[in-house]
Amino acid sequence: MADTFFFHPALLFFAALPAVPLLKGIWRQALVLLVPLVAFTLVLGFSPGNHGVIDVQGLHLVFGRVDKLAIIFANVFTLMSIIGAVYGLHIKEPWQQVASMGYVGSALGCVFAGDFLTLFLFWEGLMVFSTALVFLRRTERSTRAGYRYFLVHVTGGLMLLCGIFLHYHQTGSIAFVRFHQDTAGLAEYLILAGFLLNAAVPPLHAWLPDAYGSATVVGSVFMCAYTTKTAVYALIRSFPGFDILIALGVVMALYGVVYAVLENDARRLLSYHIISQVGYMVTGVGIGTALALNGACAHAYAHILYKSLLFMGVGGVVHVTGHSKFSELGGLWKYMPYTLVFTLIGGLSISAFPLFSGFVTKSMVISGAWESHLNWAALGLTLAAAGTFLHTGLKVPYFIWFWRDKPSFEPPKKEAPLNMLIAMAIAAYYCVLIGVNPSGLYKLLPFDATYHPYSSQHVMESMQILLFTMLGFFLLIKKLYPEPKVGLDLDWFYRRGAVVFMAFCRNVLRMLDDKVIKNLHKTFALPLLRGFARVANWNDQRVVDGVVDNSAQAVLSLGDHMRVFMQPGILSRYIARTLTVLAGIALLALYLR
Amino acid sequence: MIIVRCISWMRKHYSLVRMSFLAVLALLLIGDLWVPRHHVHFLGDEIPGFWALFGLGACALIIIGSKWLGHAWLFRPEDYYEKEGNK
Repeated sequence: MADTFFFHPALLFFAALPAVPLLKGIWRQALVLLVPLVAFTLVLGFSPGNHGVIDVQGLHLVFGRVDKLAIIFANVFTLMSIIGAVYGLHIKEPWQQVASMGYVGSALGCVFAGDFLTLFLFWEGLMVFSTALVFLRRTERSTRAGYRYFLVHVTGGLMLLCGIFLHYHQTGSIAFVRFHQDTAGLAEYLILAGFLLNAAVPPLHAWLPDAYGSATVVGSVFMCAYTTKTAVYALIRSFPGFDILIALGVVMALYGVVYAVLENDARRLLSYHIISQVGYMVTGVGIGTALALNGACAHAYAHILYKSLLFMGVGGVVHVTGHSKFSELGGLWKYMPYTLVFTLIGGLSISAFPLFSGFVTKSMVISGAWESHLNWAALGLTLAAAGTFLHTGLKVPYFIWFWRDKPSFEPPKKEAPLNMLIAMAIAAYYCVLIGVNPSGLYKLLPFDATYHPYSSQHVMESMQILLFTMLGFFLLIKKLYPEPKVGLDLDWFYRRGAVVFMAFCRNVLRMLDDKVIKNLHKTFALPLLRGFARVANWNDQRVVDGVVDNSAQAVLSLGDHMRVFMQPGILSRYIARTLTVLAGIALLALYLR
Repeated sequence: MIIVRCISWMRKHYSLVRMSFLAVLALLLIGDLWVPRHHVHFLGDEIPGFWALFGLGACALIIIGSKWLGHAWLFRPEDYYEKEGNK
């Protein structure tokens, strides 16, 4: 029984969903904690197998494909849902908790999906629930960002769906399995584009900082964990060894770093570093060796924990002070020291400091690149690693907690709420645990490759890069002082594009309507219509009326003739006709025998 | 609170902290001379202190390059989209 047991953890989340707004106070808190805890325990007990198989109209739907790759992602997704639930425990209104539970459920649905239609179903669920998390901030800015986020993801979803249909049309299969570069055509690349949009690969990335910088504090903690990592999971599942992903991943890792320099909003800076970090995973998928794929999985695992820790720390500051811009923050070390320590642990983990989680996972991808003799990729990723430490490890803590004696506003009187600090502590514990004892994580990895991060050469190399980056940071600190500006990104095309489109509608289209179409109407359409009316009128009077009148007259006169013929009033003629008809019937009956 | 006291102490003894940081940097450079190289992927792995130089250079490149790009092209006022979008 034990090795065949399967209960879809997404079911738990969706089943509990309607109960959340009905419960109040401690009961609701208990429910939102209990569901992730049960789900996490469930996933710990899973063993590989196929479950929840349904055949609909010849389509083979698999809701519960369990293998090692699905298990490691489900493991970290459910772990993260516990942390996120603790972090959001203070919220009085239920809707953020409803949305985040639906969001986690959808992510788990994607992870266990064994076919593309099931994947697509939950993929769209991800989009709907995460959009809700943006809207629930309830500011004008977040509403606008929410609509943009929704439209971009609808586009991505459509690309995915087109790809799935084309693929089904060509092969007759919707199985969610590995594709091969040599046989991939339009269908596969459409699916890839759908995945890449959710993984925020440039040029399909601009939705990420836009939405994550505008979402609710708790919402962005959830969002930073699931959407991009579900996409990474899908890439590992279907597109390992696609060369294009190596270049895209390296570009992505550096792109995020460059934009993080320009960013003045702490949560948007962290968002750009999600892009950068997902770049490592995408590169790992592109390299496609067992070591690199393991690196992508391990890095996704560690990334979810340290990135959510960072978003929780910065989110705590936003929650307490209401500010997220470096140009307004500063000097908070006296007021929020615990949040500082937890954020620093997150910063050291993402920067791959020895003894922290990033060190044992990021290096797997870089080693994968070295061992596949992709020196340029390895050097690019190492360069991005220096940039990561520069920003997330140094710039974020320095400009929020130090820099000046006190912030530009009245300093906060209190720390972040206790539940937030506990959630940060749990995430921080896992960041350090993975860094100190990576074997627990390595055991979960799905592919067959061993890796030992703690060699003296590797530690020395990392320490040199990191500490000399730190030296550079303090030498060039004047250049990094926050500037209250935004950097243009590719969302310019649709944000400004929308303005241009509206201006086009307002000016050009209206002018066309006013000047050209109205005149056309007057000079051509109206006379033409009048002409038609005249023809119709004539037709009606002459042709139709004539036909109707004449046919009425014909019926009348026919009726007269018939009456005279059929009812002459002479008895002998009636009898003769009746006998004739009877004789006819009798003859017919005889003939038919 | 112990964290606040630690940070206050470090801020008070700023030059000491800076000296010890520089000492660690120097130790890293000297120590690199004796670290055994098991995985040599390219030339840089064999040069002692290469990665220190790489880190410093990367930091300078990223900061100066990105800021230059920002000032030359990408920077806009913070209400850029709000202002234009509401027109």
